[in-house]
Amino acid sequence: MLFIELSIQGLVQGAIYALIALGLVLVYGLLRILHVAHAALYTLGAYFGIIIVNAGGHIVIAIVLSMVLVGLIGIGIYRFAYKPLLDKPPLIALIASIGLFIAAEEVYRIIFGAYGMSFSQPPLQQQIELFSGFHLSASRICVVILSVLFISILGWLAASTRTGVAWRATVSDPDMAASFGVDIERVRHINFFIGSALAALAGVMVALLSNLVEPTMGAVPAYKALAIIVLGGLGSVRGTLIASLALGIIESFGTIYAGHILDRDAIAFAFLIIVLMIRPQGLLIRR
Amino acid sequence: MLKVEELTCGYGKMVAVNNISLAVAPGQIVGLIGANGAGKSTTILTLAGLAQAIDGRVELNGQDITHMPVHERVDAGIALVPEGRRVFAELTVSENLLVGGTRLKNWQIKQELQRVYDMFPRLAERRNQMAESLSGGEQQMLAIGRALMAGPELLLIDELSLGLMPLAINECYRVLEGLRKKQLAIILVEQSTERVQQVADHVIVLETGRIVWRGTGDEASRDNTIVEAYLGLT
Repeated sequence: MLFIELSIQGLVQGAIYALIALGLVLVYGLLRILHVAHAALYTLGAYFGIIIVNAGGHIVIAIVLSMVLVGLIGIGIYRFAYKPLLDKPPLIALIASIGLFIAAEEVYRIIFGAYGMSFSQPPLQQQIELFSGFHLSASRICVVILSVLFISILGWLAASTRTGVAWRATVSDPDMAASFGVDIERVRHINFFIGSALAALAGVMVALLSNLVEPTMGAVPAYKALAIIVLGGLGSVRGTLIASLALGIIESFGTIYAGHILDRDAIAFAFLIIVLMIRPQGLLIRR
Repeated sequence: MLKVEELTCGYGKMVAVNNISLAVAPGQIVGLIGANGAGKSTTILTLAGLAQAIDGRVELNGQDITHMPVHERVDAGIALVPEGRRVFAELTVSENLLVGGTRLKNWQIKQELQRVYDMFPRLAERRNQMAESLSGGEQQMLAIGRALMAGPELLLIDELSLGLMPLAINECYRVLEGLRKKQLAIILVEQSTERVQQVADHVIVLETGRIVWRGTGDEASRDNTIVEAYLGLT
């Protein structure tokens, strides 16, 4: 039973990492920018979720609105922060992104307060019996279902629609894609919208699980997501998904079996360091 | 159809081609030849919108397209077959062709795909294969097919035969003749002067970004200065 519980816990955590890291890998694949400020959008998504529910909105409305609003803000970040820097060396965009992330944390502190925010009546807390004697909260089930749903939709969009094919062509060779009439700016906007919306979804999910949102809650996921996309092979969506789930499972089991030596985040980073030492090129990339 | 007047172009502030003029009409092939660094590819990339026109004017069917954004030039009727093919390696053959037809309506796609498959049956056989798994000749056919998807009036071809086996080169030139008969205007950049002289209606020789010779394909075959100008820098 413990094994199943830990596996599910790992799956839930891995799904959240996947939602955050997917946005990062989408931006890196298209623009070769390490979008550290992505984690600030994850935090903002969590705040929006709590604010909308506390204002009387249904959790479904909170999720949808949060994803849409944060998606639009993601487009704004591209337009006003990254686009002017695209012809500069990638390090400049990275510094801008780090600056944006730090500034966002301070803005959240000023607007929402330093001590965090919670649901006045946390939704989806009822326990559901999955099979005899095994219960799981509705929020955890929701995390897994929504993650699988949105990642599947993303996979379908990329593989089976003309927009998805244009997006993949743009990732592969932007100049060539443009020369066949692909509107690169539109593709970048869609990319930032989807990536940011997924981060917002992860933020609302974490708010549901922990019932606490703080200005600095994006810091550790930011580092972990960066390590995950490197582990996934920098630019590989499939590799990123595998690395996210692996990290979630390792964290889950490690907390129980190695928790007396290292805390949860230390276990995660120790795992990432060890795997990157063995496979610096990432999990799915051949040397 | 295409009229280039005193065009100076390059990348950012770097000028690669100086003050060149040329014209191409439907059903004509204009060959651009010259040594490496002569400015052939820059000229063709500028016409495609991928390099920057610094001065001069480019007109297509009377419309000024000098500074038109690259993605709008497809609507104007321009398509590019780039040097080195540059097929989208991790997309299938049919997905590559879909990208070529980006500006088409959904109902047009099926019919244009079929037109390209009829022209290149090998692509039809390999429609679900990744482009990276094709041979060089097949990739060149894919690059041409992808460019034809949007139904262009002007085809810009950069190094048609580079790196291809003789049989594949013959096949590509056979296709080129077919496209000429369909009244496509073609600008062809080639390393192989002999091939260009045989196929082109007009030949232009570039040297360090300037036109140093121009004439008909027949004149080019007879005039040794062309070969001297060309080989003098290779």
